[in-house]
Amino acid sequence: MDLVFALAINGLIWGLIIALIALGLSIIFGLLDIINLAHGDFFMVGTVLAWFIVQSTDNFWLAFILVPIIGLLLGAVIQKLVIVPIKGAAALSIVATFGLSIILQETVRATFGPAPKRLLPPVEGTIPLFGIDYELYRLVAAVISIICLAAFFLFLHKAKLGTWMRAVRHDPETALALGIPVQRIYTITFAIGFGMAALGGVVAAPITTVDFRAGVDILPFCFIAVIIGGLGNLQGTAAAAVLLAFMEGVITAFADPVVARIASLLFMSAVLLVRPQGIFAGATS
Amino acid sequence: MVEPISSHSILRIEDLHAHYGKIHVLQGVNLEIPAGGAVALLGRNGVGKSTTLRSALHLMPRSRGRIYFNGEDITALKPERLAGLGIGYVPQGRGIFPLLSVMDNLTLGLRSKPDPNILDEVFTRFPRLKERLSQKGGTLSGGEQQMLAIGRCLMMSPRLLILDEPTEGIMPILVADIRRTIQSINQSGVSVLLVEQNVKTALKICHQTYIMEKGSIAFEGASADLRKQPETIHRYLGLSLDAA
Ligand SMILES: Nc1ncnc2c1ncn2[C@@H]1O[C@H](COP(=O)(O)OP(=O)(O)OP(=O)(O)O)[C@@H](O)[C@H]1O
Ligand SMILES: [Mg+2]
Repeated sequence: MDLVFALAINGLIWGLIIALIALGLSIIFGLLDIINLAHGDFFMVGTVLAWFIVQSTDNFWLAFILVPIIGLLLGAVIQKLVIVPIKGAAALSIVATFGLSIILQETVRATFGPAPKRLLPPVEGTIPLFGIDYELYRLVAAVISIICLAAFFLFLHKAKLGTWMRAVRHDPETALALGIPVQRIYTITFAIGFGMAALGGVVAAPITTVDFRAGVDILPFCFIAVIIGGLGNLQGTAAAAVLLAFMEGVITAFADPVVARIASLLFMSAVLLVRPQGIFAGATS
Repeated sequence: MVEPISSHSILRIEDLHAHYGKIHVLQGVNLEIPAGGAVALLGRNGVGKSTTLRSALHLMPRSRGRIYFNGEDITALKPERLAGLGIGYVPQGRGIFPLLSVMDNLTLGLRSKPDPNILDEVFTRFPRLKERLSQKGGTLSGGEQQMLAIGRCLMMSPRLLILDEPTEGIMPILVADIRRTIQSINQSGVSVLLVEQNVKTALKICHQTYIMEKGSIAFEGASADLRKQPETIHRYLGLSLDAA
């Protein structure tokens, strides 16, 4: 029973981190019409950068600040170099971001080597939680993720830039006529998408393995969350990510992780059949 | 060197061409709005009125043509700069953002906090908006959305207001309201370019009228003269003024 509980909490916390990453995927899809197959690798780059900065400076919190900023910058550069030239053509976006995914993975492998690495949690120790000794950092990661999720939605609904992003998503032409710099909003959105995946990466780095292939596992999970939450429904995406990870966590207590992932896929298929607009439709942003 | 532009023209469209794919939709549109004036652009469905506005405003690619605003060549300007120059645009279908609040819709084009004086002016003109500021744009009625779309332009203190069929889908009793609003905005010194299906309304508001046919201007003249030529109206617009 303790194991089930621990894995369920693990899943829940993992879901909060994935929510950050999946939101990045969702805003990129929503505004730029880009199906970003490199999104998992944006997360992976975040974990590797975190590992590298902690190696060099021995300061996790410095990495926590720097990695999302580097993610934003990389995102802006990649949008200009890779995304602008394909002009929103969906088929091309798949080819281009798949290529980008390979480039990112191989660059990391060539630079840091193929061996998986570990990062020690910046907060050590355990805390008794309903009868088990639970790793303290995981709770810290949960709190950080919740704060970042709240900050993201606050930004989207209260900041001018967030309002502009929502306007561009709905009607870029009218937005442009009102003086909103639509092309720059696209760049900023892609940058924020990368930044959020990288943020997820640095928060997750101490509780996962740092590996150049880590994105391969994250990507389908994010897509499933986006679909179950309802395409373009950001609150739904976040809720679905938490729900799915929790469910996979519980299932993992009794069965192989592969079974857990199959369950997620079945869940997604059921949602697509019964409620193709997503289970949280209605709460659109 | 381009020839000098007469100082009293706020917008001048010169030899405008545009394509949708291979279809040559605009085939050399020429149009001029005198500063402070009100100009109507009429024409049957699908002749290219909206396309003229959209390509003049850099919202779609042009194949040829030059655009001057207030004597300045703005042909190569980035599209997002036009609003800042003082060109307000109310698109066909109003272009309200349904999920944004009325207030967010109203202030969308502003880069800083709204000027309280301008905000007051807009609320005086459209008191119904003031009562609905936190409501979502999509929950407004058609007429209210039209007011919001016009108010949103006024927030940016435009020198030229371009409206694409503002009375389309509006209840007949509200059409006169919208007409008076546009007239009063024009009287306050804002130039107006009005695309309309409602010929009567357009002729009441505008001093000058252009009629488009298949991608270029077929008629150009004073509205007062056009009113005396029912056969011209019938030929290009397929209707008589009484029935309109
Ligand atoms: N996005 C588009 N793609 C392809 N063709 C288009 C597009 N928009 C308009 N057209 C075509 O271009 C022509 C001109 O369209 P436009 O919208 O400018 O006409 P309009 O005069 O504004 O008509 P209406 O009075 O019905 O609004 C029409 O034949 C229309 O079918
Ligand atoms: Mg039209």
